[in-house]
Amino acid sequence: MAMATSTFSPHPLSLKPQLGPRPHRLHLAPFPRLRSHRRLAAAGEAPVEAPPKPAEADPSPAASNGSAAAAPAAAAPAAPVAAAKAEAVASPKFQDSRWVNGTWDLSRFGNTGGAVDWDAVIDAEARRRKWLEDSPEASSSEDAVVFDTSIIPWWAWIKRFHLPEAEKLNGRAAMVGFFMAYFVDSLTGVGLVDQMGNFFCKTLLFVAVAGVLLVRKNEDIDNLKKLIDESTFYDKQWQSTWQDDSPSGPKK
Amino acid sequence: MTSLSSSAAAARATFLPSSCRARPAGGRRSQLLVTRAAASSPKLPGGRKLRVAVVGGGPAGGAAAEALAKGGVETVLIERKMDNCKPCGGAIPLCMVSEFDLPLDLVDRRVTKMKMISPSNVAVDIGRTLAPHEYIGMVRREVLDDFLRNRAQKAGAEVLNGLFLRYEAPKERNGTYTVHYNHYDSSNGKVGGEKRSFEVDAIVGADGANSRVAKDMGAGDYEYAIAFQERVKIPDDKMRYYEERAEMYVGDDVSPDFYGWVFPKCDHVAVGTGTVTHKADIKKFQAATRLRAKDKIEGGKIIRVEAHPIPEHPRPKRVSGRVTLVGDAAGYVTKCSGEGIYFAAKSGRMCAEAIVAGSANGTRLVDESDLRKYLAEFDRLYWPTYKVLDILQKVFYRSNAAREAFVEMCADDYVQRMTFDSYLYKRVVPGNPIEDIKLAVNTIGSLVRATALRREMGKLTL
Repeated sequence: MAMATSTFSPHPLSLKPQLGPRPHRLHLAPFPRLRSHRRLAAAGEAPVEAPPKPAEADPSPAASNGSAAAAPAAAAPAAPVAAAKAEAVASPKFQDSRWVNGTWDLSRFGNTGGAVDWDAVIDAEARRRKWLEDSPEASSSEDAVVFDTSIIPWWAWIKRFHLPEAEKLNGRAAMVGFFMAYFVDSLTGVGLVDQMGNFFCKTLLFVAVAGVLLVRKNEDIDNLKKLIDESTFYDKQWQSTWQDDSPSGPKK
Repeated sequence: MTSLSSSAAAARATFLPSSCRARPAGGRRSQLLVTRAAASSPKLPGGRKLRVAVVGGGPAGGAAAEALAKGGVETVLIERKMDNCKPCGGAIPLCMVSEFDLPLDLVDRRVTKMKMISPSNVAVDIGRTLAPHEYIGMVRREVLDDFLRNRAQKAGAEVLNGLFLRYEAPKERNGTYTVHYNHYDSSNGKVGGEKRSFEVDAIVGADGANSRVAKDMGAGDYEYAIAFQERVKIPDDKMRYYEERAEMYVGDDVSPDFYGWVFPKCDHVAVGTGTVTHKADIKKFQAATRLRAKDKIEGGKIIRVEAHPIPEHPRPKRVSGRVTLVGDAAGYVTKCSGEGIYFAAKSGRMCAEAIVAGSANGTRLVDESDLRKYLAEFDRLYWPTYKVLDILQKVFYRSNAAREAFVEMCADDYVQRMTFDSYLYKRVVPGNPIEDIKLAVNTIGSLVRATALRREMGKLTL
């Protein structure tokens, strides 16, 4: 996944490097020390350009994109903004040079080819939401938020969130399916081709696919159980009137 | 109505000795309806009328008392505080105005624009699809309750000002219940009131979330949400914004499992929020609601602060002998929207109608099965509504991501039309299948996008 994102976004935001697989693979490299040096040097550029933490009340998290003209030293512009806001609320408003009139200014997300870099939009919006979650802002009808996540095309979401996951799921489904076919064959003697036409085997296939989709982590089993309990809980609460020992209740 | 009473008559005939079976009412139904009511509902002695105590004078009690009195039942309504201003959003659906014949001047505000505001402050105006005559009525509870009580009184119910204390169940099978209450007499100005009691044949508990009737009958508890509300008088120019508008804020900051609101009242707004799971933090949520509405209510003066429990589901037992519960006491508040006034009034009326039918207009004794008929009918009519709202709450109030998706979904005209149809007219209208599929796809899309963003947010450190 991180591979995909870094391939498609030419201006990696500061949060990207930590997602990269490279750090974990250092021990596999022929010259780990050398590689690590180079990597640090490469990553070293990011912090300079990167957005300082909004906790320091930085007005432009967009600095990393190079689009923000006023992004030199982080601390300097932060001070007046914080001062201006201090009288209103303790926490500063969310600000970003690419956030214009309640939406992301897509023209500032362009990559070299002129197309919109949707990955960066997703990052920016995730960042904005996180920010608002930590310090909620007053809603205002003049300064309305009009950004709608549906303007980000479906393939951008798929590419970013589904494809890395899909690899794993496909791999799992294939392995589970293979071994199920193997065991069915060894136990019953029904060959792979015959299994395709067999109802029982089709059911097994279905169960395998559903299982792979629904249970992706071990916790998912518990979560599913909880979900089932939860979905019938309200029914039970309503039906309890009809379940007491009274013989006269007309059952629905 | 007539069909109800005739079937009740049939039921009563069921257990009469075989010599009486020749009656036309017995007939074929006798094999089907084997109910205890029939066995034990003799005619009341001496031609006296059935006596029913309605405890609580809210919408449920008022509606019940009116329907009982109209049906020829001798009704006593006990209300603790006649001008009680219950903390309550005060929104009533359009169908309530016509069904309960409410005069239009009872409605302070007609809300036609509902603004929903997501955690990331995306605001959606709901109500574009409303026809010109459609609105959500905002009433003041003290006015509505008073009106319904007065109408009950006009219909022949006796309205007592007093505090219900407890009741005693009858010793013998068809005996009477003794209701003990503290009588308040405004004329002699005595504080505390005097203890009095009277005898009734049945009791309708309409005394709200902290119901004493429910406690006495062992109805069991329900989970409740706590609602906190401040009534804020805001400057006129800001009030103009809320003239026809109500606001709903969703988000973890405002409430982890409900919503925060700004509802317009006659000359002020009510700002509030509610929660089930984090009751101790309600003050924090209220502060967050105020912050989210900030500029719009700035400079307002808080004229009143209220808090009240809101039931989350019906009590385990809603009927016991000839005692039953209606309204909030029974727990008829929807999830998700937290609506209860209409269901309270409706359950009160349905319960009363069942009693009137079961007692053949107050001439016979009723029994548990008559009261259970009301429960069965209420559950049949409204269970789907409650269930749908429960699902909505579970799906969309789960997390901020889900709330974002919820608000996105509400921007859709089809959703708005369906929501308002089911809210205003309390009937589930079958939708257009193609639109339904479109909606399902869009909703899942919204949920997936919001969840994906959520995952990304988890990786971020600001």
